[in-house]
Amino acid sequence: MGSVCCSQQHGRADSDEIEQTAEIEDRIERESKAEEHIQKLLLLGSSDSGKSTIFKQIKLLFQNGFDDAELKSYIPVIHANIYQTIKILFDGSKELSQSFSDSSRFHVSDENKEIGERLSEIGSRLEFPYLTPEIVEEIETLWQDNAIQETLSCSNKLQVPHCAHYYIENLQRLSNPGYVPTKEDVLYARVRTTGVVEIQFSPVRENKRSGEVYRLFDVGGQRNEKRKWIHLFEGVTAVIFCAAINEYDQTLLENETNHLMETKELFEWVLKQPCFEKTSFMLFLNKFDLFEEKVLKVPLNVCDWFKDYQPASSGKQEIEHAYEFVKKKFEELYFRSTSPDCVDRVFKIYRTNALDQKLVKKTFKLVHETLRRRNLFEAGLL
Amino acid sequence: MPMLQPSKKNGFLGGGDGRVLDLDTAVKDGVLGGVGGGGLGTGVLEKLDLNKMIEELNLSTVPSVFICPISLEPMTDPVTLCTGQTYEKSNILKWLGMGHYTCPTTMQELWDDMLTPNNTLYQLICTWFSQQYVQMKKRSENAQGRASELLSTLKRVKGQARIQTLKELQQLVSNHSTARTAVVDEGGVALLSSLLGPFTSYAIGSEVIATLVNLTLCSDSKANLMQPSKVSAVIDVLNEGSIDAKLNCVRLIETLMDDKGFRAETISSHSLLVALMRLIRDKRHPNGHFPGLALLKSISIHNELRILILNIGAAPQLIELIPFLNPECIELALFTLEALSSTSQGKQALKDCPKTIPTMVKLLMRISEICTAHALSILLSVCKLAPEECSSVAVETGIAAKLLLVIQSGCSQILKQQAAELLKLCSLNYSDTMFLSKCKLTRTIQ
Repeated sequence: MGSVCCSQQHGRADSDEIEQTAEIEDRIERESKAEEHIQKLLLLGSSDSGKSTIFKQIKLLFQNGFDDAELKSYIPVIHANIYQTIKILFDGSKELSQSFSDSSRFHVSDENKEIGERLSEIGSRLEFPYLTPEIVEEIETLWQDNAIQETLSCSNKLQVPHCAHYYIENLQRLSNPGYVPTKEDVLYARVRTTGVVEIQFSPVRENKRSGEVYRLFDVGGQRNEKRKWIHLFEGVTAVIFCAAINEYDQTLLENETNHLMETKELFEWVLKQPCFEKTSFMLFLNKFDLFEEKVLKVPLNVCDWFKDYQPASSGKQEIEHAYEFVKKKFEELYFRSTSPDCVDRVFKIYRTNALDQKLVKKTFKLVHETLRRRNLFEAGLL
Repeated sequence: MPMLQPSKKNGFLGGGDGRVLDLDTAVKDGVLGGVGGGGLGTGVLEKLDLNKMIEELNLSTVPSVFICPISLEPMTDPVTLCTGQTYEKSNILKWLGMGHYTCPTTMQELWDDMLTPNNTLYQLICTWFSQQYVQMKKRSENAQGRASELLSTLKRVKGQARIQTLKELQQLVSNHSTARTAVVDEGGVALLSSLLGPFTSYAIGSEVIATLVNLTLCSDSKANLMQPSKVSAVIDVLNEGSIDAKLNCVRLIETLMDDKGFRAETISSHSLLVALMRLIRDKRHPNGHFPGLALLKSISIHNELRILILNIGAAPQLIELIPFLNPECIELALFTLEALSSTSQGKQALKDCPKTIPTMVKLLMRISEICTAHALSILLSVCKLAPEECSSVAVETGIAAKLLLVIQSGCSQILKQQAAELLKLCSLNYSDTMFLSKCKLTRTIQ
């Protein structure tokens, strides 16, 4: 009797199992089909090229942006940035006063020295105290010291983040007890991306019926061992490579390599990867606004790659001329690193300023259009 | 005797291509008398005007009764024979002058050689053409007015409205010369050019270019268009556009290159050349081959751009293409290859491509003297680079007999000298007897 019951139960369990398996397989099939339609975009670039800012912009533009909790979660980052900035400046002034002959301009006044040491000490910790009005006052006093301002003008030798000016200007607001960061504050926040971050979105268009779904990956954090995991991104629709073109005069103190040369090497490396043979490349020449300001003051030839540059005019025309030169250099590099059978890949260059939301939106619209046309072309419909 | 009956059904006059000129409408529209009908006094003036109108209108839908059976052109001085058939006076006079004494259409022998001027038909023709002319003028003026309107709209609108405006403007400009003049006179060129830039979407870019190619561009406008960001916009459309858009880009670039202020560095862009090669290789759209190759030829004239062409691997691609091209295209391709072969990289690239020598040998004395000249020059460049290696390949593909053909042919002296030089080069590694055997006409040539 018992065995009969058992076998009956078995029978039921079997059919349940079969049903479940079928359901699971069904779901897998549906989801893989859906996956095929999702176009994957990969953000690449050297550190500080603005990848994560682009990432945040896409989130703001095409998803629901940041909710209150997410905004508040950036407060520690913003405060950390402020401490880090002032520390870099203070330490930098000490270093520069040692290496320059007319070191007196880098000597912080005695009253401020004490403040400087204290803030520097805070800045080297792993956790930072909340910004109190007293600390804010101290920071402001130190900031206004001539030596610090001098150091700031030599920022190409240090790693002063771009957000420095912005945050110091808004110091009062940022230290308020009930402070909730604005979108702009969040865009300026600098934090090293760890691991891989991804968002899925659909570009909303004028007629609202856009079937394309994109998934954007930001792998910023990993500096080394790229060759081990880069092949996981084979089949990606497009690589968005960010290059900060204002960095042509910035060097890393440790090894004296020029930032832009590092970007150049990275770009070359990425182009040669076999997993990207059929991938479209969108090159974002980023931080154009900073480039505009800098190029009239610092000649392009300080960077080895641009040593054959010759200025042609002045003012706005000169900026355009310089930009075209840089663009051409990247183009040359692209075609040099592309084998003849890959020459049919889509390759476009865009000038961007990742902090300007309107610009990012316009740029992304063009990227989207290009990818769409490419799809139509490959489907033989164009 | 078979008589040709003019088709007369219910008072309709048969018109050409379905255009019926019926009596009622003819009366209403004033074709029969009324508007434009004048007495004989105005005959001469009307005739001049009539000729002008016919030429300007260039219509294909002229009613068949107005057409002279001999020349198939509209008649400006219709005369009728005794058989009742009407012809253009000058044509029938020529016919009779040749000694024929028959009616060309009915084949009847003429019993009377009088040519009666067919005033009625003449009046009808004048009136009909005048009407058409007036209508066309009105449409042109409308076009002109509309073009002005569209230009001012263009300054205001954005987004979809802008695209629609551009589309309509492009249609107008391609159909009406008055619209073209209006656009040019009212600063439309500058306005259109201002729409090209780093953020131009494809829809706008392609329409702007399609419009610009129909307009006469002054030197200043061309200089404006040669700004790097605008050229980039054109190159983008060339890269990803439809075949028509690509052809427009090619035309526009050629116009820019025509200007005396043109500098080669304006178009020194790998992307441009890649896009051009893609157009040339596109098997789905053969109508793009000739324009693409023509532009490539113009580009290859500039020394500094040859390296770019070579960098993108165009040389072997062109060699591979040649067997599939028609003669005019082959000539263009050969010109470009010869230009490339004048550089050391070019020589190397051509030598490295295994199909160069066989393809060039096949082309000798095949299509035209110009093609032979180009092919010969290329062969010389390549063989001089690596005489031993190349000459053996060349000889195996039957170059010897071909060169002999050249020398014996009616080609120019220079060509014969070159052929002789190449022949000598190729023969260096062979004994006399061996070489002679290679000179025989082989199957390759037959």
